[in-house]
Amino acid sequence: MKEESKVMTAREAVEKFVFDGATIGLGGQNVGRMAMAAIHEIVRQGKKNLTIYGCNLSINMDILVGAGLVKRCEAGTGNLEYFGTTFCFRRAIEQGLMEMEDYSHLGMISRFLAGEMGLPFMPTKSMLGSDMLTQQVKSTGKKYELIKDPWNADEPVLLLPALKPDVALIHAQRADAMGNVVIDGFLALDVELARASKHTIITCEEIVPEEKIRSDAERTSIPYLYVSAVVEQPFGSHPAAAYRYYDYDADHVKYYQKCAREGGKALEGYLKHYILDSENFDDYLEKVGGIKKMIALMKSMKRMV
Amino acid sequence: MADFSIEELTVIEASRYINDGETVFAGTGLPLMATMLAQKTHAPHLCFVAETGPIAPIVLPTPLSVSDPRLQYRSVRLGSLREVLGCLLQHGMMDVGFVGGAEIDEFGNINTTVIGDYERPKVRFPGSGGGNDILSHAKRILIITRHEKQRFPKRCTYITSPGYINGPDARAKAGLTSKKPQIVVVTRLGVMEINPETGRFQIRKLMPGSSVEALLEATGFRPDINGRIENVAPPTDHELTTLREKVDPQGLYSKKV
Repeated sequence: MKEESKVMTAREAVEKFVFDGATIGLGGQNVGRMAMAAIHEIVRQGKKNLTIYGCNLSINMDILVGAGLVKRCEAGTGNLEYFGTTFCFRRAIEQGLMEMEDYSHLGMISRFLAGEMGLPFMPTKSMLGSDMLTQQVKSTGKKYELIKDPWNADEPVLLLPALKPDVALIHAQRADAMGNVVIDGFLALDVELARASKHTIITCEEIVPEEKIRSDAERTSIPYLYVSAVVEQPFGSHPAAAYRYYDYDADHVKYYQKCAREGGKALEGYLKHYILDSENFDDYLEKVGGIKKMIALMKSMKRMV
Repeated sequence: MADFSIEELTVIEASRYINDGETVFAGTGLPLMATMLAQKTHAPHLCFVAETGPIAPIVLPTPLSVSDPRLQYRSVRLGSLREVLGCLLQHGMMDVGFVGGAEIDEFGNINTTVIGDYERPKVRFPGSGGGNDILSHAKRILIITRHEKQRFPKRCTYITSPGYINGPDARAKAGLTSKKPQIVVVTRLGVMEINPETGRFQIRKLMPGSSVEALLEATGFRPDINGRIENVAPPTDHELTTLREKVDPQGLYSKKV
C-alpha cells in the first residue's frame, strides 16, 4: 500500500479544508491539547460565518468569536474554569451577535457517536427534565425527539441527531505522513470527533516515521482513513498543554483573558499583535516568549509525567 | 487545635460526605479540593475520575482545569469523555457527583446557562458542561458553593442540571435513572439537604458562628427548619494540616468559598 503524504503547512490545510460557512468540530479541552496553529490560520485567512461544534469550547473558540468569524455554536460549554468564562463568547451571545445551542457534554458526545457510526441519531438519558429541552434558538429546528423505550414503555429516552462536521481541528502529539495519529494523555472527544467529521486536520508536535506507527499500532488513536491533513507544529497547542510535551502557559492564558474580558481595543490589539501580524505560528511563539518560555513549559511538564 | 477559617472548614465538611471506596466524579476547584482531602484522610480508596478521561489519578497540587496535566498523573487509564460520561456516569457507576458554584433553587436545580431570555440573555454563563450529566446520573450529589442570596433563588429561571425539578416525583416522571438521589449543599453558613419526601431543601447543620436566621437571610427561598439541626464539627488537626500542606498548599481555592 502506498499512501500519498498528507503533510502540509497550517496555511495550506486551512485553505484546502476550511471554507466560509463551514461547520467545524474542535478537539481538546480547556487548557489541554488544542489545535491553536489551525485556529490562528483561520483568523489570518478570515474564514467567516463558521459554526463551531464541541464539548468544552475554550480559547480556541473564543478567539474565532472575538475575530467576528462565528455565527453559531453547538456545545456543552464555553469555559476556562479557574481562568474565568470565555468572554468573547459571552459578549457575543449577550449582544445577539452569535447563536448558541446548548447540550450537555454527554449530549454532544452522543451526537458525535451517531455521526462516527453512520447512524442518524443516538439515545441518551442525559438532559431529561432540563431546560435544554424547553428552550432553543429558533433556527435550530427539531433539536431532539423524546420517545418511550421500546423495551420498557415506562421509561422516556431522548434521541439527539448525529453531527458530521465539515472539518475537525485536532492537536496530537505525533502523527506519520499518512495521517496515523497518536494522542498522549486524555482523549477528550477527539477520537469520536475525527471519525464523525468529513475531514480532519491534525496538527502535531512531531511527525514520526510510518514504521514507528506500524511497530506499535495499539497506540494509534486515529488511523489515517479519517485524516485529511497533517501539520507539524511544535508547541502548536500553546497556550494549552500537550501531555508529556509541555504544560499550559498560565501567564498567557491570563493575559488573553484580560484582553478578551476588556474587549474593544484590548482584544483587537491581541488579535493584531499575536495573530494577524504574525507570519505563522512560529512567529507567534517568538512573541509569547520564544525558546526560553517553551523550555520552561517543557520542564514543568517533565515534573508531572 | 489550630485556628482555622470558615472557608477551610467548608471544604473539610464537604469532604466528610465522601465515603471510603466510593467512585467520585468531581469538577475542578472546590469539589476537587474536597475530594482530594477525603482521599488523603478518611477515604484512601476512593476512585476519582475527571471528565476528560483520567481514571483514578494520584492528583498533584493544584489543578486549575479538568484538562490539567496535574489531574492525569499516575492514572490507571487516560480515557475519553465518552468513557467517563457515558460508560461510567450514565452507566450508573458513579456514587458521588460533586459540583461547584452556581445558581441553586429550593428543589436543588442548578442554572449555569442564562439569566433572562435564552436567545438574548441578560447574562450568559458557561453552560452545562458535564454538570447536567452529573446531576442526571450520579447516585449522590454534593454541591459546594458561596452562600449568597442571589445564588439561592426560589426558582432557577433556567434549569441546566436537574435537582428534584418541581417536586418529589418529578425526576422519575422526566425519565431520569437516578430517581431520588441524595442532594447536599455545603456552604460557609451550613449544610442543607433535599428531603426526598418534599423534593425541597431542609437545613441539616450549621457552621460555627452561623445561625438559622443568618442562613435564611442569605437564602432566596425558605428551607425547611423542622428537622434536627446539628452543628458542624470543627476540623481535626489531621484534616486541617492535610488540606493546607497536601491539597491546596498555595491556597488557590480556599478563599473562593
